[in-house]
Formats: sequence, C-alpha cells, structure tokens
Amino acid sequence: MNKAKNVVFSYSFLLPSSILTVVLGIYPIVWAMRYMFFDYKGYGEERFIGLDNFARIWTDHEYWDSVLNTFIYAGGKLALSLPLALLLAVILNRGLRGRGVIRALLFMPTIISTAVMAVVFFAIFNSYNGILNQFLMKYNLIGSPVDWLGVDHAMLSVILVAVWGALGNYMLLFLAGLQNIPQDVYESSSLDGAGRWQQFRYITIPMLGPVMQMIVMLAIINALKGYESIMVMTDGGPIGKTNVMFLYVFKLFFPTASGSAATQVQEMGYGSAVAFVTALIVGAITIVYFYGSRRMSRND
Amino acid sequence: MKKRWLTMTLAAVVMAGSLAACSGKKTEENGGAESGGSDSGEKTVISYWTGDRHDSEFIKEVVDEYNATNKDNIEVDLVIKGDDFDQALDMSFQTSEPPDVIRVKENTIQTFYKKGYLAPIDEFLKEEHKAAFPEMPDLNSFEGKRYSLPNYGTTMRLIYNKELFAKAGVTAPPTTLAELVDVAKKLTAAGKESGAYGFAQNFKNPGSAFGRSSRVIAEVSGFGGFGYDFKTAQYDFSHFKPIIEAFKQIKDDGSMLPGVESLDIDPLRAQFAEGKIGMYLSFSAEAGVYTSQFPAKIEWAAAPAPSIDGSFNGASGFLGGQWLALSSKTTKKEAAWKFMSYMYSESLLQQYQEKGFGISMVPSVSEVAATPQVKGIEGFLPNPYDGVWPVYPVVAVQGTKSDDAFFKYMVSGGDLDAIIKDLNERYNAALAQAVKNGEVKAEPDPNFDPKALAGKFAK
Repeated sequence: MNKAKNVVFSYSFLLPSSILTVVLGIYPIVWAMRYMFFDYKGYGEERFIGLDNFARIWTDHEYWDSVLNTFIYAGGKLALSLPLALLLAVILNRGLRGRGVIRALLFMPTIISTAVMAVVFFAIFNSYNGILNQFLMKYNLIGSPVDWLGVDHAMLSVILVAVWGALGNYMLLFLAGLQNIPQDVYESSSLDGAGRWQQFRYITIPMLGPVMQMIVMLAIINALKGYESIMVMTDGGPIGKTNVMFLYVFKLFFPTASGSAATQVQEMGYGSAVAFVTALIVGAITIVYFYGSRRMSRND
Repeated sequence: MKKRWLTMTLAAVVMAGSLAACSGKKTEENGGAESGGSDSGEKTVISYWTGDRHDSEFIKEVVDEYNATNKDNIEVDLVIKGDDFDQALDMSFQTSEPPDVIRVKENTIQTFYKKGYLAPIDEFLKEEHKAAFPEMPDLNSFEGKRYSLPNYGTTMRLIYNKELFAKAGVTAPPTTLAELVDVAKKLTAAGKESGAYGFAQNFKNPGSAFGRSSRVIAEVSGFGGFGYDFKTAQYDFSHFKPIIEAFKQIKDDGSMLPGVESLDIDPLRAQFAEGKIGMYLSFSAEAGVYTSQFPAKIEWAAAPAPSIDGSFNGASGFLGGQWLALSSKTTKKEAAWKFMSYMYSESLLQQYQEKGFGISMVPSVSEVAATPQVKGIEGFLPNPYDGVWPVYPVVAVQGTKSDDAFFKYMVSGGDLDAIIKDLNERYNAALAQAVKNGEVKAEPDPNFDPKALAGKFAK
C-alpha cells in the first residue's frame, strides 16, 4: 500500500513535464516523421512517395555542403570556446579581486537574445561602415575594409559570434565543476611539491572529468544545432558558405519570399526527411562522443 | 505523511492552475466571438495583419480614424508584422487565431489561396466595385472567384544618384547593359575617393537582389523575369546570360559597393541615402523610403530600367493587382468587409497615391489623384513601357535555385553556359513533375506577345 502510494506520489510529479514533453516534443516529431514519406508542399494533396525523399537527400549537394559547413562551424566553435571557458574558469576560481563582476560580465552574453546579439554583430562586422573595420583602419591595422561577412571570412565571423555567446555559459559550468574539487587535494599536492601546471594536469583535469564530459556533450549538441545567429547575420550566405544543417531544414519549411514574387515552394515532406536525417547525424555524433569519452566519467 | 499530502495537494493545484491557464484563452475567445457581432453594446473587434512598413504611419492613422468614426461599432486591431509575416500567418492558421483581414501581395496571394487562407469576396461585390477594380487572373481572382481588389501597383526602375552622375560627367542614365557597366565604372572613378561606388545589389538574399534587378531587365527585353517562357511553357534561363555577365563585370571592375555579399536591402538604401551608391534597381516604394525611412541627403531620380541591348521588346513589370483579402476563417465576415470597403474607398486610395505610398492601379483613382507629394516619385509613375506580366508557375526545383547559382557565378566564376543548361534541365523537370501532380498549370501560348503587355497604363 505504502509502495503504491509512493508510486502515485512520484508519478504525480512526473506528469506535468511528461504532458509538456508529449505535446511539445514527441507529437511534433511524430507529425513530421509521417511526412517523410510524402510529397507535401504545405497545402493541397499529400502524395505518398515511399523513400523518394531519402533518395533525393543522397544527391542533394546543397544539403551535404551544409553538413560540412556545420562540422566546420561546430569544430571552430568548440575548439575556441571550450579551452577558453576552462581557462577563464580556472583563473576566476582563484581569489581574484573583482571576480564576481568579471564572471557576471562574461556570463552576460548568455542572457542576451541571439537575434539581438546577431544584429549588433552585423553592425560590427559590416564591411562597408562596420565598427570593426573603422577601428582597425583607424589604428592602421588594415589598409582597406575587410569583408568580414563576405565569402572568405563569413564562417570565421559567425564562429566568433558563437564563441562570444557560449563562452560565459560554459565557463559557469566549468566553475561549478571546479568548486566541487576538494581544496585539500591541492594542498596536499603542494606539500608534495606539485607546481600549478602539474596540479592542473593531474588534479583539475581528471577530477573535472565527469562534469567536463557533460559540458562537452552539451556544447557539441548546441554547436551542431545552432543556426539562429547565422540566419540573422548572413542568412547562410554568401553562396552558401555559412549554410548549416538546421538553417537548411528551416528554409525548406519556411522559405522566404524574395523580391516581389514567390520563387520558392514550401517543402514539408522533403523538409521532414532532411530534418530526420539531420537528427540522426546529431544523434550519431553524440553517441560516438559519449562512447569515446567514457574514460572521462571514471573518476579514478 | 502529512507533509507528503500537503506537497501532493500543492502539486495538484499547480497542475490544475497550468491546465486552467491553457484553456483560459479558449474561453475568452469564445466569449469574444459570441459578444462580437450580435450585441450592439460591445465592439466587434477584427484584426488586420500587414507586413508593409513603407506606409505604416498612414495606415495607423486611417485605422485609428476608422476606429474613432465608424458607426458599426467595429474596432480594427492593426498588426504590423516584419519579415516573418508569412510564417506568422502560417502559425496563426495552425493555432486557430488567424487575422480577419490579410494584406496579400503579388508574391503571396497564390500561396495563401492554395493554402485555403482566403475567402472569396464575390458575395459583397457590387456592380460599381466590379467596374472600378480590374480583375486580374491569378493576381486577384482564382477559378472565376475574386479574392482581392487592386489598390496600387509597383513599378520597377533604375534609381540613381544625380549628384554623383554630375560629378562623373554622365548626362543620362544607362539604357543598355553595356552602358550600365560603363556608367558604373565612371561613377566609381568619380566617387571612390569619397567612398562612393557605381552600383549595388542586396545579395544577402540573392532572390531579392535579382528579383528587383535582373528581373526587370529581362522583362523590358521581352523575357519572363523568372526564366519562364510563356510562349513555350518551359523554363529558359539563357536570356539571363548577358545580364548576369554584366553584373559580374561590374563586380570584377570594382564598381560594386564593397560588402554586397552580405548586404540587405535596408542597409543598401541607407548607403544610397548617404550618397555612397551611384545606381541600383528597385521598386517604386523607394520614393517613400527616401522621404520617411532614410531621408536622402542627395539629389536622386528614377529612370526606366535598361534593357539588354537598348531595344524594348517587352514590358517593365507593373506589379500588384491585390491589396486586402478576407480570411477564410473569419467569423466576422460582414465587419471585416465593412472595414475593407472603407480601405478601398476612392478618397482613401487617392490619398494613398498622393502621399506617395504607391501608384494607383485603379483607373478611376488614377484619373483624379494628383501626382504624389513625394520627392522623386515622378520617375516611378507609369510610362509606356510598364505592363502587368502574367503569373508564372512556381515549382519546387531540386538543388541550387537560379538566383543562388547566378550569384555564385558572379562571385566565383565558372561556365555560365553549363550553369544555365543545368538550371533549364532541373527547372523543367520540376515543372513537368508539378504539372503531372496537378500543382500548377503550364500551357504554351505561341501568340504570347510581351510587347503587347506594355502601354496600358500610360501612352
């Protein structure tokens, strides 16, 4: 009886979030998955076409280019943001004066809307009268304006914005992990003559393992899924150089009318198939990472 | 134990509260709808959604005036959306909260019609309406039923900086592609020192950039602006070759504003207003933009768009034919139509033209309306080259779209003939498929004469 009550009690807590998960998470996924096998333009007839959408993905160069772009974008974002976040966390974990203010400042980008942030960065990177070019030219660091959002530099620019946006968040997570490492371990290692680098290498990194595993996983998923700031800054351009997977999917579902005539057609069916394959790619990478990083979670 | 029950009760209260919050909207909505039309004491609230920004101040004023003065106790809730208008509308129809009156455009009315968002207005149309507002198939009527009425049309022109032209010693705007390239070069040579360049296009969205530039050049030259050939009912992008090559030449010459690759239309306009751009191609809405949105600091004017070789074998697209439409889901059709009738009143449409928001496509209004009080609008008024093109069938092409392919060629070069051949093959395959599925109609019209489209709005 008591056990039964316990079960009811527990499930009553799970219920609200379960309802939300089903309504806002599972139902839309099932809805979209049904259309993977259909030719459906958002209106009119839904034609069953079997696996044709998947065959189309196979030969869709634009999609595979966007997958490659996503890897470059995510790779760049992770390679820059994670080490930097860890470094900042280690520095700010010390008894530094004003560290509270610095932490707050670094965390600030996390709470700013991505769209607002991207609009501001567009004004900074804008090649013609952007603040960055004006600053660099004023101090003679460049001779002529650099097209930061042009073909050659657009990817770098969107990566830098992504790093700026994510840094504070990862730093905070690393800080939380660092504060769980007992001080006595450091103290006893000092007595044994360990230097700062040795402490970092042999105490901080291993003891941060399980936390780091989770942070890196979250960072990977976020980086693979990110497209909002790119949409505002370059809209995937120029010539598709910053077109990432989820932006490609978004445009299939919500094509923008260009000029004054409808030149694109909403592709719900194909979009669903592409979204599914994209989810598989993100899922596969996450599983491979999780499997490969098992050692990190062993705190020994 | 007591504590546990207390927690459970609290959890139940929170759940009940959140469920009530979810259903609260519905109750309110039902209540609103019921009290809407019948109860004379309460206002009938209808919502009007528009994505237009160039006329937003004026529309706000006329809606406010309608709300203050109408005797039918109707209150219009004006919602001005941004670039997400189409998506917001899709969402509204999915969540059962669509607007009652919808702003429809040349590029949206077909889609909204196919999606079932629009209700026919024939039941409200009187003979005087039918006589005053021209019917245009696929632009305001579908399968014999009317869904909207025209207000204003948009002409397409070459917009140029008169001061920079004078500085460069160029006396007349270009009329051919060769002249366009040449003038862009001269303007850049004259203006580069002060940061001004000869030509610009808003390539952040290549579709938007070509939709206001290569489109009109192709159309005045006698070819469909989106690559569709109405004579053969096939896509043929080969006519775009000289146009795209000219644009590439301008870019390669260094006569194009730096950073066009990520340039949106508003930043482009801001630069033009500052005098940093010599020429660009766009719509007649620009005149209003340089009056209110980005007051121009330079003398500028608009001229007919150049053709490929200087001869005019077609018509410069006069775009429009529709303005407001009734939502298929409105429960307040009568009230919504009353508001629409107010918006379509001759005096209001007259003001619309006179204030420079658009050039009237309604003959009875054109006759009485004065030239708009907007600087620079003269160049946009209908000329003998303007005309309404038929609507081409939009298809779901697989792979790179024509605009993206052409822009890529402009930036990184390649074999343009091969690009065009590939585009023709893919667009025609998609067209054949869409015709087969009954999604579009495409029938050859060997007698189609693009030149005959022109000259109906001005002699």
